[in-house]
Amino acid sequence: MFSRVSILLLASAGLALATPAPLTPKELASVVKVDSLSIPTPAELMVALNKVAKPNWQSKYRQPIPTNFSSRAQIALNIGGLIADGYIAVEAEDSQQVKNIGKDIITLAKCLAVSESVIARGNSIFEFAERNEWNTLKEELEATQNEVKLSLEQQHDSGLVYFVSIGAWIRGTEVISGWIADNYTPASAKLLRQPEIVALMQTKLNELPAKTKQDPLVSELIARLPELQNAVSFSSDKSPTQDEVKNVKEISGKLMANISTKQNAKEAK
Amino acid sequence: MRAFFLPLLLVASLTTQASIEPTDSLPSDAEVKAHTSALEVAGAFSNDGFKSRDGHIFGKIAHKEPKFIQVNLYSGNQYWFIAAASSPAKRIVVTIYDDKGKPIPTEPYENNTQAAAGFSPQASGPYIVRVEELEGEPAAFCLLYSYK
Repeated sequence: MFSRVSILLLASAGLALATPAPLTPKELASVVKVDSLSIPTPAELMVALNKVAKPNWQSKYRQPIPTNFSSRAQIALNIGGLIADGYIAVEAEDSQQVKNIGKDIITLAKCLAVSESVIARGNSIFEFAERNEWNTLKEELEATQNEVKLSLEQQHDSGLVYFVSIGAWIRGTEVISGWIADNYTPASAKLLRQPEIVALMQTKLNELPAKTKQDPLVSELIARLPELQNAVSFSSDKSPTQDEVKNVKEISGKLMANISTKQNAKEAK
Repeated sequence: MRAFFLPLLLVASLTTQASIEPTDSLPSDAEVKAHTSALEVAGAFSNDGFKSRDGHIFGKIAHKEPKFIQVNLYSGNQYWFIAAASSPAKRIVVTIYDDKGKPIPTEPYENNTQAAAGFSPQASGPYIVRVEELEGEPAAFCLLYSYK
């Protein structure tokens, strides 16, 4: 499965280690969860779906979203959503769509007063899209997302970091569950099992300052994420039914619609 | 008194280091070296179609004090989890477990201060990556992963 590279590596590795012992309860309790590794990118889910299906990615485009929100939480969530849209456009190999999304990402990022490095990343997205460098674009999208997060950290706005990841994951889940709901197979449906991601999101949202949690959109996310967690928490040895997949699509779709609706920004303080 | 507080301080320090998010403090030279070394291994996998995630984690690692990091993976994808440590670490190893702590069979790679474990999950969901120093003194390490 891991072909020639792994054969070379195994040759250099020498003897494999003995089978390790199971983790102790103390070790399990010490497991660290971090945004940078514990939350997968939408690209990873799309790669997995591409292995069991041939999705028409262009059919998953959405109408352009507003780019003049006033709530910083909503801006961060929508940057994440746009990052996911960028991956969809890359999968569709649609350079104009990638450029359109890149422009919106920069516009929203400027509203957060992020650093020049984010703007530079956005410009790179334009250049790579112009040259149809799809693999590089996937790396650039994740790098852009991380630059936004780093910039937020530097502004001591670390609470917003997870909003970027949450927005990306919800939009990715909405798109993939929507495609699977319409083209159901048990194998593709099993991809949607991800209970710990939503649990991590809930933990991080609950740790936010009270003022941030008063944002209507944030309080709605906190209220609705348990429903999404239930929907993606099926057993690892069974596939969700088509109706269960439709339920994931419906919940994530409603969340994403609220995230990208300007009304929420007006209500926010 | 001192003996009581020292382990507490050590635990606090390790926890902070192991759960590093993007921060406004620059990584240390040792962390940069560990990251460069991990990317070197990831580069070999990229020739075989593996794409490295931009995200990574730095931390401190010491003999008999392994670090555990949760990752959430998709069935059907292939993954390599790659760790590298700086001097004075001498030998490290990466192992993978399911969310209950049961070890998962992987393809191992071990080259002193560089190590990796490759596998393709049968089920989507959470897994645990363990990075352990087998020989050497406490050192900085970096963990990242590649997938295809």
